[in-house]
Amino acid sequence: MVKIAVYPPNSLILADLLERKGHTPLVLQKQIRQKIKDPEIDSPPMNITEEDPIKGLKYAAIEVPSGVRGRMAIIGPLIDEAEAAIVVDGAPYGFGCIGCARTNELSIFLLRNKDIPVLELDYPTNQDETYVMVNKINEFVDSLEKTDKEEE
Amino acid sequence: MSPNLTMSPDLGKEDWDPDVITRMIFIGPGAHVSEQQVVNEFHMLDLPLTIKNTCYGSMISGKSADVYKAIEEIRKLDPAHIFTKERGFAPGDPRRCRGHRFGPREGFHQMEKEYRILGFVSEALENPKEVEIEKKKPIDVDEFKKFMNECLDKEE
Amino acid sequence: MVKIALVSCGTEYSGIQKEIEKAANKFGAEIVLPEIDLDYIDESYEKFGFSAQSSSLKLMIARAMAIVEGRSKPDAVFIATCFRCAEAALVRNEVRRFIQNNTRIPVVTYSFTERTKADELFIRMEALATTVTRRSILAREKQEGLTLGLDSGSTTTKAVLMENNQVIGTGWTSTKDIIESAKTAAAEAFSQTDYGWDDLDGIGTTGYGRFTMGQEFGAELIQEELSVNAKGAVYLADCQKGEATVLDIGGMDNKVITVNNGIPDNFTMGGICAGASGRFLDMTSRRLDVDITELGPLAVQGDWRKAMLNSYCIVFGIQDLVTTLAAGGSKADVAAAACHSVSEQVYEQQLQEIDIREPLIQVGGTSLISGLVEAVSETLGGIEVIVPEYSQHIGAVGAALLVSGMGHRQDDK
Repeated sequence: MVKIAVYPPNSLILADLLERKGHTPLVLQKQIRQKIKDPEIDSPPMNITEEDPIKGLKYAAIEVPSGVRGRMAIIGPLIDEAEAAIVVDGAPYGFGCIGCARTNELSIFLLRNKDIPVLELDYPTNQDETYVMVNKINEFVDSLEKTDKEEE
Repeated sequence: MSPNLTMSPDLGKEDWDPDVITRMIFIGPGAHVSEQQVVNEFHMLDLPLTIKNTCYGSMISGKSADVYKAIEEIRKLDPAHIFTKERGFAPGDPRRCRGHRFGPREGFHQMEKEYRILGFVSEALENPKEVEIEKKKPIDVDEFKKFMNECLDKEE
Repeated sequence: MVKIALVSCGTEYSGIQKEIEKAANKFGAEIVLPEIDLDYIDESYEKFGFSAQSSSLKLMIARAMAIVEGRSKPDAVFIATCFRCAEAALVRNEVRRFIQNNTRIPVVTYSFTERTKADELFIRMEALATTVTRRSILAREKQEGLTLGLDSGSTTTKAVLMENNQVIGTGWTSTKDIIESAKTAAAEAFSQTDYGWDDLDGIGTTGYGRFTMGQEFGAELIQEELSVNAKGAVYLADCQKGEATVLDIGGMDNKVITVNNGIPDNFTMGGICAGASGRFLDMTSRRLDVDITELGPLAVQGDWRKAMLNSYCIVFGIQDLVTTLAAGGSKADVAAAACHSVSEQVYEQQLQEIDIREPLIQVGGTSLISGLVEAVSETLGGIEVIVPEYSQHIGAVGAALLVSGMGHRQDDK
């Protein structure tokens, strides 16, 4: 089982395809859950406080807008944990956490720059392209399994 | 207090438990099962879960081990058409529930958009096949010039 | 309840959502999010024509479109984006203009950081809420009857007496006890006329001491300084229609207000550096041994480039000026360098946060220092700067103007 970061980190399709193969997709919602289940914090709706953009300094310098650093405080730990990554280019980025292009640029850069296998894909616009995406993901995941076994 | 400001939400003990998780279950186009069948199946599993019908499918909540077990079982109904995803907030959490807080949830539009290609994904899962796609490249400058001149000639 | 639509690319991620909602609640308003669907987002984004990369900015555009097209019907709009984000700043300003050009809904914009607290948002939310509930008052363009405006600031208290659209008396004193200072300033204003307290039709108060004064004198209008100063400035500068920026470099803090048709829509206030305040000029004039009133004309004659000034700091900067003088530099050059330094520092600290709109109306005591006005214009690339008459009494003029029509003290007599 490999921990795989996906981008966009809240993608239904990416997370689902990985889970089918028995891997752990590193998704945003788990991070959010951790935050909102902390009864010590009272900052609705998402329990993000002034502390988060400060934690985000680990990933981006002080002159970077607070919204980028706040988002990085949530997405960053997923990148740190990643053993492999799948990045989809041109994905219909949602809003909220991944609604900020600067955050996405930085996150994808950090994933590419990490010494882990990274699969880059284009978001499909028709049936054939969807085939390509699903096939590539399956191939990538299979290759991870191989290296995983070899290491064992 | 205005309805959209939910300081200290009044949640049950279970909702604060970090091991209690929530999953959304989507039924893609062309599925062999109905939303109701999926919900019934969840009930039949007899696991301690909170099960809810939603506009896109259903949502379940419970201890992570039970939830994962249920997901594994439910996928068997129609592996190529049932998709699932984590959800940060528990069902009905006033901090995110549309009924309490105006405006759509953060991830909602993303979900809406991905749902539009779910049918293709199901198809690819059900009937795997190799497909070659030619990547489009910008045309050569000389060719561009040729076409441009052709268009201009036509206009004259 | 006043409904304020939040148009933002994600205030939650800077951890300030709670602060925004708290600030709105304090003034009897609530924050709402315009409800829209995915297709509407794409559709309005294309219609608007700004190619933003961030999808949350697309969402912002769509929310603005929903307001303009009447799908969402808020009473006011709060537009906020992260400080220092270029993409968001561009969208913020265009969306602001779009709403203002197509609706009569009041708008306030803000660029925030994680340090933004409810206290800083109070004055903006108050301005928004009062613009909604008091639109008819803010629409006033002419003063009528005999009214007194009192502006109790942190350092000075100003009084202005107006009659039939004319300023007929002014008073000015340093703030000690709020009530006593107000009485002193008012007495000075009355002394220039034949009138007294009993002749007034109405009293308007503004500034930090507005509530205290308002209670003591039974004021008909108690209003925050944002709306009042903006109104006073555009009234005196004859810019009641269209856009303008009001700049007040104070003795201790600075205010910049952007105005659209006489109604303020953004505002910044700062006061953490004495080098960016009138105090710096006060120190300079003492070092030069000239009266503060002479500093301006002196600076106009000088060339700031000829005086060495390596620091904006009130300690090190002044030291540099002294060194220049000791080396035989002219007083005029030193005065010019001081004005230039303050103007640059105000730019560095504050003007960058706001979209400056022409004309710039400079008010407050420092607007009388001509060298500073010239320096501000130069720092902003030669922008048109207007210093209206009575610019040092701006808040009191605004209060006297706005209260006219509200006071009926003589009716009972």
